[in-house]
Amino acid sequence: MDDLLTDFLAEAAEMLADASGAIVAWEGDPGDRDRLDAIFRFVHTIKGSSGFLTLPRVTALAHAAEDALDQVRRGARNADVALVSAVLAIIDRLNQLCETLGKSGVEPAGDDQDVISLLSGLTAAPVETAVPVAAPSVDEDVAAAVQSWRSIRVPLPLLDSVMTGITDMVLARNDFARLLRENNRDPALVASFDRLSDSIAGMRQSVSQMRMQRIDKLFSPLPRIARDLATELGKQVQMVTNGGEVELDREMIENIRDPLTHIIRNAIDHGLESAADRQTTGKDAIGRIMVSARQSGNQIEIEVADDGRGICIDKLVAKALSAKIIASADVALMTPRQKLDLIFAPGLSTAAKVTAISGRGVGMDIVKSNIEKIGGIVELRNDEGRGLCVILRVPMTLTIISGLLVSASNQHFAIPRGAVREILLESSDTVRIDRLGGGEFVSVRGERMALVRLENILSGGEDHDDDSDDRALVIVRPGQGHCYALSVAAIHDHEELVIKPAAPLIMATGLYAGTTLPDNGRPVLLLDALGLPAVIGVDVGVAAQLGSELLAREADALETRTRGQLLLFRDCDQSVRAINLTAIERVEEVPLSDIFESAGSVQVHIGGDIIPVHASAVPSGCEKVKLLRLFDGRNEICYLIDSVIDIIRMTDSVKASKVPGLVAGIILVADQPIELIDPFWLMEQVAGGSRRAERKHGPLCRLAADDDGWAANFLAPILRSAGYRIASGPVLADEEVADVLLCSSETDIAADGPTVPVVRLRMTVNGEGPDDDSIYRYDRAGVLSALRSRVAGTGQ
Amino acid sequence: MMDKLYLIAQIADTRVALRSRSINSVVGVENPVPVPGAPPHVVGLFALRSRILTLIDPHVVVGLAPVKVADSQRVIVVDVAGHGYALLADRIEDVCFIEAPETPLHGQLSPGWARVADALVEFEGATLLVVDPAHFITTPVARAA
Repeated sequence: MDDLLTDFLAEAAEMLADASGAIVAWEGDPGDRDRLDAIFRFVHTIKGSSGFLTLPRVTALAHAAEDALDQVRRGARNADVALVSAVLAIIDRLNQLCETLGKSGVEPAGDDQDVISLLSGLTAAPVETAVPVAAPSVDEDVAAAVQSWRSIRVPLPLLDSVMTGITDMVLARNDFARLLRENNRDPALVASFDRLSDSIAGMRQSVSQMRMQRIDKLFSPLPRIARDLATELGKQVQMVTNGGEVELDREMIENIRDPLTHIIRNAIDHGLESAADRQTTGKDAIGRIMVSARQSGNQIEIEVADDGRGICIDKLVAKALSAKIIASADVALMTPRQKLDLIFAPGLSTAAKVTAISGRGVGMDIVKSNIEKIGGIVELRNDEGRGLCVILRVPMTLTIISGLLVSASNQHFAIPRGAVREILLESSDTVRIDRLGGGEFVSVRGERMALVRLENILSGGEDHDDDSDDRALVIVRPGQGHCYALSVAAIHDHEELVIKPAAPLIMATGLYAGTTLPDNGRPVLLLDALGLPAVIGVDVGVAAQLGSELLAREADALETRTRGQLLLFRDCDQSVRAINLTAIERVEEVPLSDIFESAGSVQVHIGGDIIPVHASAVPSGCEKVKLLRLFDGRNEICYLIDSVIDIIRMTDSVKASKVPGLVAGIILVADQPIELIDPFWLMEQVAGGSRRAERKHGPLCRLAADDDGWAANFLAPILRSAGYRIASGPVLADEEVADVLLCSSETDIAADGPTVPVVRLRMTVNGEGPDDDSIYRYDRAGVLSALRSRVAGTGQ
Repeated sequence: MMDKLYLIAQIADTRVALRSRSINSVVGVENPVPVPGAPPHVVGLFALRSRILTLIDPHVVVGLAPVKVADSQRVIVVDVAGHGYALLADRIEDVCFIEAPETPLHGQLSPGWARVADALVEFEGATLLVVDPAHFITTPVARAA
């Protein structure tokens, strides 16, 4: 086949994939000028190149789409569903033509009037209401487009062989470096070698980048898939993608494509409800699917979140029972997390009936095994009734990883940096080690984990006496399951490691994930973060963790009592602040609708309490807000925050601020100055606003003879805010004796006997005589002071 | 031609003729890195240029006690299924063509050797065991006598 044609096809395939995604997005927001321009450029470029290659059908199709889009650009036409569908039809036809072209090398004969007429058959009458858009000249646009596509195409096998070549070069350089160190002292030779070494390092970087592709590549076809599937199922879906600029090794992209598509199909087919169902549960009729990617270290996290019905755990368990995946006896022993993980069991499909789209018996188990094959993991966050979030965490590349070198038994080992959460010294203040029942546990800031000594694992579980003080703990976060602490004799350094698979008989031990050759020429084994604890039977699975979480919480509470801790959080203005942990009763997450503004101050409604909020205005722009709930034994106040970051130990030195205010002073956390919030000042601002303590223990005022409900309706709120508890209605047998009786009329003064002081209210402004100790019922100050003096009298 | 080419060496206290097809080279090894948890016949890892090879002790494979690796001990590098291995050799003699045909074994060997040896061959007035080096790697280890 002609080289030019090959190039055209490759370019067209790429652009068409991008274009369909862009068109669906544009349909959602027809005013998006950039998107429209981009789509216009696609068809314009295809028209141009196909004309050059004499492909009349392609040219005609592209030309028709270009015309229609140009009308939209000039404001002569509206972008409606019919137009978008017609353009999509043209793109589909172009795709078909390109496929045939790729196979046969010639454009097949045929007629495309059917799809072209779809476009021109629409009412092309000028629309006055169209968003007016300035139409820059076409040539200008295309010049910009050519710039952004300034690249060449390279066959993938060539790219792969360059990668293999460079890996070997790095290893050869390492070997050379070692020989040079051992045998040569000639500075000129060393300098020259260093130059070579630097350029090899630079080249390796470039080659790695060459293989990197923006994850956009993976995301761009998704809106189209979602749209088509949703149309087929009669559902409405809005798909949002985010983080398309994240880059990933092209091999990984290939490996993720199918699992990701499958997850999205699942979300639309099983996750999202029909529009009618959604509205009955109070959701927006249009389902939302959010696909986002972000890089964290050497890993890429891809998250697919939908706002559908989530996974119904009970149905899932029932299904697993009927599929004989679990026995009914197991169910009682399973944690919620384990039940949820049943979704990954082979041969289980959650759809009530098999549909053409995703209920084919290949399910999440395939997704999981495909992701694990490339060293990734799948996580679920299920919010039953409100949606499911599937998180794929995969390494960025397969061959070169960042590793942490550790040693045990005088031997070096490598741990993938991506699996390391934290590194601590065993002697550190934040670490406590407990030996219990033959096992060891470590508590790091209240989080309890299994402690695994690397020497013990490597010697097959035998105990080694190692009393060395400066041992280090590597907190390992293996893929699935939970963190554990790996105790090693020493930590060395981080190094970019070229990983090669180890011989099968070494991989079979389950301890290692591969081998690598650092600069010193001594091979190093790469530890398998997940396999290690499993080999000596330490359960880092879910059950072990749940039990330990309870213990950890107790330990945490104890620690809180015994020493000062600070809660580090992100404030609403995004700056990081800290507050003394003891001042915080709990962290609340409430819907925004529970926050309201009243009488000039912001309040929140939590449970049965109204609590003042320290905020100048009701926040907006989010559905839920997080609040720190502060309680000083008497008063309560909520402090609006963005998110909780961590709990840290109180530092010794606080640089106090000169003026009392919200900020008590500045502390240093990890060398960063952090503002410390003053809970005393906060409380001072609201003292008297909310008196929970007094509501419980304040004097009890009984409203007597309140037949018309006036006292209960008008007086009670004033009394409550003054700290009285109110009782009304018939006296109950076990009710405590009131501290004061408030009587609206003359009738039953003696009801509670003479022991209870009485405040009598009258309807008239003036009393009936000098002996009349009753008070006019709208004399607020008088009523309160009378109550105060009567209550005080009882105490004497 | 290659079929007739053998490496004559002493391995696990026995003089053998190794079929040369999978043999890569003969090199000296120093100080291999042990692999904790690996099967007993895996002595460790060492680097040969940019490759990492797995060192195998044939003594253990045939049921003898393991030997200590001496400085610059000769090892036979072989490729099996895409991975590089090295066999510890007590002594390397020569590479030569043996025109005499291989004759089948009739069960006179110890259980350990019986699993790795394929045949017998006459060479310069002596009878040698014919061994495929791959057998030392893929064969399950004999229990030490």
